[in-house]
Amino acid sequence: MEYDVEFHGVSFRYAGAQKDALSKIDLKIPTGEIVLVTGPAGSGKTTFCSCINGLVPHYHEGELSGEVIVRSYHTRRARIGGLASLVGMVFQDPESQLVTSSVADEVAFGPENLGVPRAEINQRVSQALSSTRLLGFEDREPHNLSGGEQQACAIAATYAMHPEVYVMDEPLANLDPAGRRQVLQVLIDVAKGRQKTLIIVEHSLEEVLPLVNRVLVMDSGQIVRDGTVDEVLAAGDIPRVFTRPAIVRLADKFGLDLKTFSAEKLYADLNARKPLGKISPDEDKPPQRSANASMPIIEIRDVHYSYKNQTSALRGVSLTVHAGELVAILGRNGSGKTTLARHIIGLLQPERGKVSVAGRDVASTPTHELTQEIGFCFQNPNHQLVAFNVRDEMTFGLKAHNIDASEFDQRVQRALELVDLLDVAEAEIFDLGKGQKQRLALASVLTLEPKILIIDEPTTGQDPEMTREIFDILKHLNQLGTTVLMITHRVDYAAAYASRAVVLNQGQIAFDGPILELISNMEIMQANSLDLPDITKLALQLHKHGVPPWTIQYEKLEGYLTQLVDGSHGD
Amino acid sequence: MAIEYQKGNAFLHRLDARTKLLLFVGMTVLAIVVVDPILMGLIFAGLYYVGAHSVDRKLLNSNLRILIVIFLTFSLFQIIFFTSKDSHFLFYLIPFKNWIPVTVQGLVRGAAVFFRFFSVVLAVHLMLYTTPPVDLALTITKREQSRGLSAELTSTLILGLILFVIAHLTKVEEIQALSSDVRIRTLIVLVASFVLAYVIQKIIGHGLPPEMGMALTLGFATVGLLSKQTEIITDAQKARGYDVKPKNLIRRVQVLTALLLPIFLATLERSQDISVAILSRGFDYNIAERTYRRQLKFQTTDYIVLTLIVLLLFAGMYLNYLNLGNPTEQFILSLLNNSA
Repeated sequence: MEYDVEFHGVSFRYAGAQKDALSKIDLKIPTGEIVLVTGPAGSGKTTFCSCINGLVPHYHEGELSGEVIVRSYHTRRARIGGLASLVGMVFQDPESQLVTSSVADEVAFGPENLGVPRAEINQRVSQALSSTRLLGFEDREPHNLSGGEQQACAIAATYAMHPEVYVMDEPLANLDPAGRRQVLQVLIDVAKGRQKTLIIVEHSLEEVLPLVNRVLVMDSGQIVRDGTVDEVLAAGDIPRVFTRPAIVRLADKFGLDLKTFSAEKLYADLNARKPLGKISPDEDKPPQRSANASMPIIEIRDVHYSYKNQTSALRGVSLTVHAGELVAILGRNGSGKTTLARHIIGLLQPERGKVSVAGRDVASTPTHELTQEIGFCFQNPNHQLVAFNVRDEMTFGLKAHNIDASEFDQRVQRALELVDLLDVAEAEIFDLGKGQKQRLALASVLTLEPKILIIDEPTTGQDPEMTREIFDILKHLNQLGTTVLMITHRVDYAAAYASRAVVLNQGQIAFDGPILELISNMEIMQANSLDLPDITKLALQLHKHGVPPWTIQYEKLEGYLTQLVDGSHGD
Repeated sequence: MAIEYQKGNAFLHRLDARTKLLLFVGMTVLAIVVVDPILMGLIFAGLYYVGAHSVDRKLLNSNLRILIVIFLTFSLFQIIFFTSKDSHFLFYLIPFKNWIPVTVQGLVRGAAVFFRFFSVVLAVHLMLYTTPPVDLALTITKREQSRGLSAELTSTLILGLILFVIAHLTKVEEIQALSSDVRIRTLIVLVASFVLAYVIQKIIGHGLPPEMGMALTLGFATVGLLSKQTEIITDAQKARGYDVKPKNLIRRVQVLTALLLPIFLATLERSQDISVAILSRGFDYNIAERTYRRQLKFQTTDYIVLTLIVLLLFAGMYLNYLNLGNPTEQFILSLLNNSA
């Protein structure tokens, strides 16, 4: 058999690091295989990818032992440029890898480097753009595209180089559900269409597992599991490292085929084996809209806003948030979520309408004064961190608000404790991982003890473990009395943690009510390309058997299913 | 407002990037050669007419307006300090002390200086407004291994002839001092012109090494991104409770330093991203053999524009050669002499 990529006893330690990023990797990937690499953050997935295209050891310095062979070339001896003609790599953050000023230039950049003649470059550009559904985007500026389009552009740029091996390092992490579907489809089309090897690193197993041949699970620089999809799924979960999708776990529990990836198939298989009976869970009441007794803390009345030269971003939004609520703001990219959040803290002023926060009119209160009431966390923590070390970062806001210095220690301590970062209180910011930075950004906002917390996509590019941590923190803060507004596209987590959902669609509120009511309303969910959590999809299927359609917790659904299956056995 | 490329498909946009670069060089030389305010004013008006039809007139005006004061100051200096002995005295700027005499020549040249500077600046503006920066970077990058003998010969020939004419228009006495025989004189000048032309086209043809050219291109692509990033960071700081526009001046400096750090970090991060991104796409595959998608190609209009510039240059030099380079000044002086 012919192998595209071979690892022989490969270990790598970054210069200055305490432990190996990769240790003793042995692996052979045959031509044409589609491989999923998964594992928690920091398990060495990116280093693994960098070994294949030669960034390790040629760009990232460190100690490399063992041999990496890509199509008979030893990466240690080959140059990155040479390997680039064989290995096409796409990274997590689409914006960071686009380097030119137009889409066509971007796609042409690789072939130009390889010395491809001009006529063929043009041909490859149009072919790559049509394969990635970007025809007509030639003259657009890459940094003005949406996330999904940017990632498609990065893939087109790699595709045009005609590599033998595609390596994709979390290509879906920064995208909304619609973008994810688009990019995933593009990826599979590209790899299958050309019969090339594809190595894809990803956390969201639900979407990728059905498409791959082989799964590698990594933890602490080692491959802890390697096999076909069946084999890896049959071996079960590994706590904190590998959790199978909910549907697969249910299939496993009820003895069905492990390659069951959709709620529909699970339901059909269960029913085919033995028709399911009916249950009537009485303790589970449908979600109620109840009048909120507490004080309104944010009042938005008929707000209109439009960006320069663009269609209006907000068109008559009215919203009242009561003190102590935990509200999820949902909607597809560009629906006005962030624009709305910016109005609450006065970074934008409405063209028409009025916003007031804790009784103060936002129009007449400067942003830096509003921040005494509102904490605001941005999507990318790098954009709001202003100091070199954790302590300075934490005291930045306190100094800006002239808080008495004697209070600093206590406040910093408390905020770091909330986000579980006490162990890095004396660290330098450069040494923090992405998840830690995100929590630090949150902690620095919390030092001011805001009454309201607004957080924009807090879980972008984080692994499931980190995502859960962030949501746990938000829930905890909410229980302490903070009003929390979170913008997110993780409907599954939002439904498990928040009570109220606000859905924006083209600058208007499409839904405002209990989040459990939202997820059982297929129409609104689909109209806003909100992804229904798999658990809820299954609950909807089981509705006619008496399962409440707003079920969101795995344990609860598992209980219902057990009742249903046992019940049908008993009859 | 920054001088940024404005998308469009007007006359100037359609010109080759090299033509526009040469147009700018030509305007600079013209501004040195032509000293008459009315002639220079006409050239300026012509250039402005072309420009206003190619880019947004409001944008152009708003950018040029700022410069008027600066160039008027230059004119004033010219008026004040151009007082050679044989110039026609008019009056003193500070009357009772008899300080700072103003002369006819000073006034005329002052007016000319205004248009001369303005024409050069307008040419730069128009070039930057109508040329994608990438194309500009490409014009000065060495892109082909060898340009072929015929291309080199043609460019040497054209440039040589231009230099030959210029030599005869500007260096009359020096040429006559060379030899008494007209044929030998001509031969020497001709050979010298061609040698010089060959050297110049060799140097220009050499261009920047492709690494530097690409660095320029990538740099241009980053400018927009960084300004967007600065905006995001400022917003983030406002949201952190930072008063980004304090009234206190010392606070304002502190605010700026706090802004600099994240921008610095963002830039650093961006440069690392770029190096990883371009390496992963084969930038160091074989840079000397790199090809280019963008193609620069001369059209008929390019040749017409270039010929026009050369003709204008010749005309300006010819007027100087005939001692008619300053008709306005001569006309005013003759009027004054007649009335006196």
